[in-house]
Amino acid sequence: MTRNWLIPIIVGLIALAVAWQGTLVATPYVLMSAAMKRIGNADGNGRANVFAFGPMATADRQPIVRPSPDLVYSSCVFDLSQGVVLVDVEPVPERYWSISIFDARTDVAAVRSDRDTGGKAARLALLRDGQKAPAGYEAVELGYDRGIALIRILLSDPSEFEQIDAIRRKSKCRTVDAKLLEK
Amino acid sequence: MKPWLRYSICILLGLGGGTALAVSQVRSDYADKQVKNGPWSANTDQGTAKASAMTRAKVALNGLLALPAKEAMYFISRTDSDGALLDGKCTYKVSGGELDARWWSITLYKGEGWLVKNAANRWSVGGNAPVRDEKGHWTFTVAPEKVDGVWLPTGRTPRFDLTLRTYHPRGSLLNDPAKAKLPTITKESCA
Repeated sequence: MTRNWLIPIIVGLIALAVAWQGTLVATPYVLMSAAMKRIGNADGNGRANVFAFGPMATADRQPIVRPSPDLVYSSCVFDLSQGVVLVDVEPVPERYWSISIFDARTDVAAVRSDRDTGGKAARLALLRDGQKAPAGYEAVELGYDRGIALIRILLSDPSEFEQIDAIRRKSKCRTVDAKLLEK
Repeated sequence: MKPWLRYSICILLGLGGGTALAVSQVRSDYADKQVKNGPWSANTDQGTAKASAMTRAKVALNGLLALPAKEAMYFISRTDSDGALLDGKCTYKVSGGELDARWWSITLYKGEGWLVKNAANRWSVGGNAPVRDEKGHWTFTVAPEKVDGVWLPTGRTPRFDLTLRTYHPRGSLLNDPAKAKLPTITKESCA
């Protein structure tokens, strides 16, 4: 009896370990994929490679888990299968702002803040191995086609929102044909 | 019993058990390379390729799109400084001194990290809000009902956590977060 069950139990334990590891590995991809669907539709545009300029997070509007009510978020769900994606971030004077690039596994490929740029605009080219960044853009190489570019801007008071909103809407996220970059 | 049936039972139990165990650990306070400092805990390798599968899964569930430590350190507390779970019916004093970062804030969340409805529509206290004494110490109140001074409402949610965000952290806050001087959370009373 015991001998009949010994090997099946060992196989079952191996299956347990595989399922445990598989669940852990899959979780970030699944949650990131859900976030990309939700955020991509944050302002109704539903498209990749364009910024969605969301309103401030409140208890009634929480597009992602653990949003900061002190930050204004602008997000671009990018898809490199359509070519290199250029991200231009309009600087906002005298406050913390940053652009962060998250890949499909939730790893951060790059973060640039006003501290890094000296208060100037951030200009990033999101690309895959073998592609080149156009002049004036910093290359950010990614291991996956899809991900999220996220701008955070700090508000010291909610009344600043309108003023900041007008500035941040000058930021751009757009795809360019790789063939054009080679010319 | 046929051998194939024995194998099928064990494999199915293993797959189900492994998945359930992983989900349970990701949803729980199960610590994986977390730094502890009083009631606060933090990850130092979130968002990086160094992060373990467990850290990556926990951050994805509880703080998707979190920044790496050099840009921001996030400290989460689900208990007061005496180790008791934070309760939305209770009043707490949160006190501290200057934090070695460019900017900080403390936000109240429930569950995996959701803002709580409250009459004041206030969910966080920024580092510039509390008045400092002559030594730079500050205090604010977390309570279900309005109080004098800087008030962070609990919305009477049964359980909540406080998240301390520190952007552009420096010194021990970045390099030795287990020993950094962090705010204390002291329970005063419960309704």
